[in-house]
Amino acid sequence: MSRSLFLSALLYGLLLAGIITLRGEIVALAIPFAVYLLYGFWNIPEALNLNIERSLSTDRADSNADVIVTLTVTNHGGDIEELLLIDHLPHHLKLCSGAPSRLIRLKKNQSYTFDYTVAGGRGAYIFETIHAAGTDMLGLITREQVIKSKNTLLVFPEVKHLKNIPIRPRKTRGFAGVIPGRVGGTGTEFFGVREYQFGDSPRMVNWHASARHEDLYSNEYQQERAADVGIVLDARVSTNHFHADHSMFNYAVTAAASLADVFLSQGNRVGLLAYGSYLDWTFPGYGKIQRERIMHALARAETGNSTVFAGLKHLSPRMFPPESQIVLVSSLTQDDLDILIELRGRGYQVMVVSPDPIRFECGLLSPSPQVDTAARIIRLERNLLIRRLERAGIRVIEWDVSIPLDHAINPALTQTRRAL
Amino acid sequence: MTVFALFLSIVISAASLAWGFFSVGLINAAIWILIIGAVWLLAAQQNWDWVSSVALLLAVIAAAFGLWLKFPPGWMFSGGLFALFAWDTNDFRRRLRLVVKDEDTRTMERRHIARISLLALAGLFLASITMLVRAQFTAEWAALLVLIVLLGLAQLVGWFGKIQ
Repeated sequence: MSRSLFLSALLYGLLLAGIITLRGEIVALAIPFAVYLLYGFWNIPEALNLNIERSLSTDRADSNADVIVTLTVTNHGGDIEELLLIDHLPHHLKLCSGAPSRLIRLKKNQSYTFDYTVAGGRGAYIFETIHAAGTDMLGLITREQVIKSKNTLLVFPEVKHLKNIPIRPRKTRGFAGVIPGRVGGTGTEFFGVREYQFGDSPRMVNWHASARHEDLYSNEYQQERAADVGIVLDARVSTNHFHADHSMFNYAVTAAASLADVFLSQGNRVGLLAYGSYLDWTFPGYGKIQRERIMHALARAETGNSTVFAGLKHLSPRMFPPESQIVLVSSLTQDDLDILIELRGRGYQVMVVSPDPIRFECGLLSPSPQVDTAARIIRLERNLLIRRLERAGIRVIEWDVSIPLDHAINPALTQTRRAL
Repeated sequence: MTVFALFLSIVISAASLAWGFFSVGLINAAIWILIIGAVWLLAAQQNWDWVSSVALLLAVIAAAFGLWLKFPPGWMFSGGLFALFAWDTNDFRRRLRLVVKDEDTRTMERRHIARISLLALAGLFLASITMLVRAQFTAEWAALLVLIVLLGLAQLVGWFGKIQ
């Protein structure tokens, strides 16, 4: 029941009681209620005619960085005694200072500006509506207006700086990069010996071979080129969500962002495929603009319900050119084995960065013999899966997510670099 | 300030009605009124906002009942009037809870309480006239009036001090 209706009912009740009992005092008791109601009705606000503009200090922010939200309200209607403004914060966005609601008095054509600060983890946050409620001085009659003002805040995932990642795809692109191109030319790594050609620098002459064959021979170096790298982010619920709504997905996104960053900085052509409830493609490209595109895609990435990597059987050659490098960020399930081996069989170089789900989940459970036994069994299954993948020529880097990504991956990559 | 005004108005409302009933010998009724007042205070402290409407209804019924049975009218008026004051202040506090307190809200609080106080004073004036007409302008009633005037003056002095 509205306040004015409740008070009116009381007033009429008192008047009726006064008339029935023929007591003037009871009628007199009704007078303050009548005055109260009349005063409220006298100040009823007109229908609200507000213009509200919301602006963000930035529409792209790093994880947990402060973003200032500024609202400016202009009243194009009549005077409002009490105006309650509530800016609805998107879920999971944390309020750092100030408040998204205000109670103010706003006269005709007057403007009011206020701000507050928010921060949040990775994600796309959409500010949609602002709720305004204008009331009379006593709060008896309320006029409401919902103002649509859409702003989007993208919070990018955290990017860890990784050392150069050694990859050796069979096919490279024509542009210079850092990946050995299996073609002789200028470079730093020794590739072979060929006959001396006019114009070769004396430094290139292989004096041992020349002395043995009485002709001049020159050293040839391996050309270093850019490559196509496709990053596949596993966004399936089954591989990312665990006990009591704990999720490993943000770790996987951080890994994908860091890998994209390092591959792009090496001059490679990088694309992204987030595989959740559907395939979310970011077509391959170079440089800072591509980095921005990938970060946008990762900021928006969400988990979904897909069972296996079935969609990867039909990879678009435009997205992942044959014999290019594929980097899969996934905690892996037994179902993924066949499709990954099939990709390898189609000539792709496949590397898997696998956040360790067993350690992650064990950290969430209270220790008990049953948990230990279960963990041991699952560990055996996982080790077997990883061994099968490695036997198929797929490099698997296991990542215990309790350790920072760069600390976990760099030593593993150093070992791989030596092996290469 | 709003919280103080709310608690004070609940206390005055319940005490006035209880005193009115007590003065005619209805001690049990007075105790029940005090218990309801205590529940209302607890509800206000716990932010159970719906209780204030029920309490206002009960206070008005008690005041009307007292007036019908010719209990001292001033206490009945005071009980009903301060219940209305408390009901209004409780709703204002509910609106204030939605926002952070800043200078704007403090100004609004002052303005709201000043206006509602004027209304309460007008009601008390009416009640005093009734008491005079019925020749029941007793020392207790005078004490209540003095207390309220002093509270009002203290509030005014406080506001002017802040403004300066």
